[in-house]
Amino acid sequence: MRRPEGKGRGVVILLALAFLLLSFFLCVALGATSISFSEVLQYLGSGSASDDPSGTIFWQIRLPRVLLAFIVGACLSVAGCVLQGMLLNPLTDPYVTGVSSGAALGAAIGIVTHIAIVPWLPILALIGGMLTLLVVYSFSRRHGQVNIFVLLLAGVTISQLLSAVIAVLMLKAGRDVHQLLYWLLGSFSGRSWTEVQIALASIPFLVVPFFFAKELNIMLQGEQRALELGVDVERVKKVLLVVAAVLTAIAVSVSGIIGFIGLVMPHLARLVIGPDHRKVLALSMVFGAAIMALSDLAARTIIAPSELPVGVVTTFFGAPLFVYLLRSKRGPRW
Amino acid sequence: MVTGDGPHGGGPHIDVETVSFSYPEHPVLREVSIAIGRGDFLGIVGPNGSGKSTLLRVIDGLLRPESGRVLLDRRPVLEHSRRELAQAVALVPQHFSLDFDFTVQEVVEMGHYCRQEGDARACATAAMETLGIGALAERLFPHLSGGEKQMVILAQALAQQPDVLLLDEPVSALDVAHQLEFFDCLQRLNADGMTIACVLHDLNLALHYCRTLLMLSDGRVAAYGPVAEVLVPDTIDAVYGVHAHVHHHAGRSFLTFSPRLRAERRERVHLVCGGGTGAALMRDLYQLGFAVSAGAVNALDSDEITGRDLGMPMAVEAPFTVLSEEVHRENLELIDRAHVVILTDVPIGTGNLRNLDAVRHALKRGAAVWVVADLPSRDFTGGRADLDLPGARQFDSVADMVAELRERAASGRPSGLS
Repeated sequence: MRRPEGKGRGVVILLALAFLLLSFFLCVALGATSISFSEVLQYLGSGSASDDPSGTIFWQIRLPRVLLAFIVGACLSVAGCVLQGMLLNPLTDPYVTGVSSGAALGAAIGIVTHIAIVPWLPILALIGGMLTLLVVYSFSRRHGQVNIFVLLLAGVTISQLLSAVIAVLMLKAGRDVHQLLYWLLGSFSGRSWTEVQIALASIPFLVVPFFFAKELNIMLQGEQRALELGVDVERVKKVLLVVAAVLTAIAVSVSGIIGFIGLVMPHLARLVIGPDHRKVLALSMVFGAAIMALSDLAARTIIAPSELPVGVVTTFFGAPLFVYLLRSKRGPRW
Repeated sequence: MVTGDGPHGGGPHIDVETVSFSYPEHPVLREVSIAIGRGDFLGIVGPNGSGKSTLLRVIDGLLRPESGRVLLDRRPVLEHSRRELAQAVALVPQHFSLDFDFTVQEVVEMGHYCRQEGDARACATAAMETLGIGALAERLFPHLSGGEKQMVILAQALAQQPDVLLLDEPVSALDVAHQLEFFDCLQRLNADGMTIACVLHDLNLALHYCRTLLMLSDGRVAAYGPVAEVLVPDTIDAVYGVHAHVHHHAGRSFLTFSPRLRAERRERVHLVCGGGTGAALMRDLYQLGFAVSAGAVNALDSDEITGRDLGMPMAVEAPFTVLSEEVHRENLELIDRAHVVILTDVPIGTGNLRNLDAVRHALKRGAAVWVVADLPSRDFTGGRADLDLPGARQFDSVADMVAELRERAASGRPSGLS
């Protein structure tokens, strides 16, 4: 596939933003109660909560939920993009570092001990995730250098270990098992502005990778070559590993473990706009946000009035898409 | 001894001071000391595993030596940041892979990363123009041929705007035309003041392009100095274990190599030959493991050249000269040590008449004598020659002799020649 150059590139970015906007309107408008396009504009224009019921639905339910999906989608996509580029491994997703399992364990403890009231659940998850990062990271550091392979192995191992602990908690969870399961499969159900506020903490971490786009590009030639070209590889790895882990922990803490977005979006972005991280990061962020919100729309409408876990939806559509990408001749170049 | 001063003056640019480096329990470099002058074109050669690539990586500060140090303009390389080092020294690696759809322009611009200021785009364009690959700029890197990719990597290194280029076997995957094109580029860069240190395997490329040569052997400096002083047969033999032959042709020198063959069999075969009638036989006998000698032949005769290449003992007369008594006597001494004496289908003239006497001498001594049949047809002495060789075994051709020797060598008969 020819890469879009010059004007074409501008068109791609405009189209992506239009897609994001469209997904926003669809997601706030559709649901158990439909809100018309003009109402949406009117609510946004007035800027505050109104007494009418669909206004309340818009401000208190739909809007925070869509914004949260946008942020979580962006976090997972950017984290996946950074890790895939840095580890030179196309199968990397944000969960390989084990951070997600740590976050899940934190949340699981919160749920079974019934301190599962907002905002404690996300905060427990965040703590679990960061502690796991600390353990995995210190395992993989030797002589001041981060060994990527040790990091991946430690991440996967700890992830398995923590999953076993979660399994035991699930057996003991009794009637909480339902809530726990939804959390482990990822869901935006019942999320409010509180979660959005927590998720907003990710914004600086979403920005940092853009300052390392050049380094990420050069590291596609391998760590060794990057060193030869003057990149401070160890510093880049340290910063970006922590950034990716924090993004993952924040995303997981507010929404649970949502699969496939972090794996597939960077591939999709690369396919559309080429390998340059300055563009891939931006485009996978937009794709991740839009597709996460649309997936959530599907999750809450397909079997309405019940809800599917959003992770089920992303996996359901993400897996075939990924297989298609792998088999396609225009597929990801690795 | 080479001083560090290059032709462009100034002190040594890079000082490698008694550097040793080991991988766990495996020493790679042992007390290597060299001084690379500014503007030098240094070649680094040596057998596989002799430490060439490791030395480059130590020079570029990518590996920390166990002992010793490397100075770049009198400052230890390990005190430089990666970025500072990349501004001064660019390395062109042996292996390079980039499977992503970057354009050549983008790949070259990555070299400019270490320069915090300046226009990356212009710098990359200039680097490509220098190497004459400007036309590739918008092509996708993974779609290039091997030769084109190598030029792009060189351009990427040039975009670092370095003073020193280190190259690790840059042309080993290229065809001969691209090899020469690549080295011509290096030569132009060197002429413009770039210091170059290049690991390479092809000693002829080294001979043509390098000014100074370092030959490593098992991590040690085996030889270091001007290229013509390092690439001598004795040194090459000692380091590589092959015979090297220096030829001069049309004002250039070049090397050819032949395996160092050891006579594994005790039988010695002496060839009475000349005019190229023995050359093929010499190689065949060597390969079969016989010890071979020859004589008497004239110098620069093609048999003499082949024999010299193979390092065999020969009785040699000056070119176009009648065999002298002295050379004849040498020839008889060689014949006395031989188990079998072969008279090839060499024409007999007045110049080499004595060779027939030599063959008769062998018969008298009781050695086996093999002769290519129909000797009279090769007699150009006008009847002066005594063609009578009583007891000599007649063969239809030299090839038949080889066939029989091969059979005997294969059957392992200890001394089946007589």
